[in-house]
Amino acid sequence: MSFKVLLPESEDELMTMLMYDNAELMAGGTDLLVRIRAGKVKPDKVISLAKIPDMDEIVDKGDRIRIGCKVTHAMALNSEIVQRNSPIMVLALREIGSPQIRNRGTIAGNIVNASPAGDSLVPLYLSNARVIIHGPKGERKLPIEEFIKGPGKTALSMGEYLRAVDFEKTGDWYPVFHKVGQRTALAIAIASLGMLIKKDKIRIVFGSVAPTVVRAYKAERFYERVNGDITVMDEFLERCLEYLSPIDDVRASAWYRKEVIKNLLKRTFDSWRKRVL
Amino acid sequence: MKLELTINGRVHSVEIDPGEMLLDVLRRLGYKSVRRSCNSASCGNCTVLMDGKPILSCTTFAARAMGHNIETVESLSEDGKLHDIQESLLETGGAQCGFCIPGFVLTTKALLEENPEPTEKEIREALNGNLCRCTGYESQIKAVLNITRKRGGHVNE
Ligand SMILES: Cc1cc2nc3c(=O)[nH]c(=O)nc-3n(C[C@H](O)[C@H](O)[C@H](O)COP(=O)(O)OP(=O)(O)OC[C@H]3O[C@@H](n4cnc5c(N)ncnc54)[C@H](O)[C@@H]3O)c2cc1C
Ligand code: FES
Ligand code: FES
Repeated sequence: MSFKVLLPESEDELMTMLMYDNAELMAGGTDLLVRIRAGKVKPDKVISLAKIPDMDEIVDKGDRIRIGCKVTHAMALNSEIVQRNSPIMVLALREIGSPQIRNRGTIAGNIVNASPAGDSLVPLYLSNARVIIHGPKGERKLPIEEFIKGPGKTALSMGEYLRAVDFEKTGDWYPVFHKVGQRTALAIAIASLGMLIKKDKIRIVFGSVAPTVVRAYKAERFYERVNGDITVMDEFLERCLEYLSPIDDVRASAWYRKEVIKNLLKRTFDSWRKRVL
Repeated sequence: MKLELTINGRVHSVEIDPGEMLLDVLRRLGYKSVRRSCNSASCGNCTVLMDGKPILSCTTFAARAMGHNIETVESLSEDGKLHDIQESLLETGGAQCGFCIPGFVLTTKALLEENPEPTEKEIREALNGNLCRCTGYESQIKAVLNITRKRGGHVNE
């Protein structure tokens, strides 16, 4: 493990360094340093964001919230803006790692990791998040679903970095987040489910059951068509399960992952019905 | 590069390699309570407090600690007298081989500063990044509940 650590002090400097060969950007390092230790990546240079000022903003943008790329999970959890307007984000971030990991790991790092098990991605997909990218050609914005291309793959090109993410306030929805792991702590999700529910509207997102986090649009439209009256649970479930393409791996079988999602969906609707009735 | 590190209130001037982790520098300076086991952000044994918040020193660059207050367990027991968190762990048998204890004590300290009367659930959540091979955790959770009680707080069981 021998690499140089670069500490740019401005975004301009950062952009120049991102053009270097075999250099990796680092925010909290909770993923990158672990991958370096495991020998999975062997960068010559690690570019740390530590000395760049002003990248840790959490801003109320009217109907959206903007979060800078140095905002850690703990900072977002402690933010009144997030607590008030995105209970779904709070539910998901609480499930990430441990206090130590939440004090260091960033939401931006979780996004760029592009893992189907990334816990912050579930609320971000549910809240129509947009990723704000800075690079040599200026700024561009992409919906998160277009930004994340596959496991570990994003739309970032050479010299670009994720500057911030913004997402809808969803304080008036009923939030649901379930994560199934092998043990409660430090576990990567085997399957996860996030939902925002209203009487006649719904948003549904699955984690860890497809190559990326996925949003079940067809099931959302079905729910709207029947005005939230899903007495025909099976038809609704069918439309949800279309989005799952789980894999068998060391953590769980595909069959198990599907069953977990089915049961979580059923359980959620049971408690939702009790709430509404 | 040269670095000034504030550890347990004492300023150290050290020569470090920019890629060096805080864990290595702390141990080199003699703070041997900071333990290395997984070396990859998974076990919590290398936990130290940075400005009062628990972080993993095995995966934090030493350079990152500049300008911040680092706290290790060495600062807790004065004149050989144990801190009440340490006392309480001894009483419940929450310390067996002891390897995980420094990290455990610091994470607990941060928890109790933020939340002096944690519920059992909150204790479990706060400590879920501190792995222990010996105790099965029950005695450790009990130790934390006892501290609250002894400090005169209300215990929600
Ligand atoms: C013990 C442990 C438990 C964990 N538990 C969970 C969990 O429960 N749920 C979960 O979702 N994750 C978990 N993780 C994974 C990790 O902590 C999160 O993904 C975290 O959010 C990553 O953020 P970071 O700032 O540490 O990323 P880093 O490690 O700094 O970076 C991760 C990747 O993103 C890139 N990157 C970072 N910032 C930017 C940027 N601004 N622009 C472009 N690229 C960037 C880096 O180059 C790197 O490729 C866990 C990790 C560990 C070690
Ligand atoms: S040694 Fe740092 S977390 Fe295990
Ligand atoms: S007491 Fe031995 S590892 Fe915890």
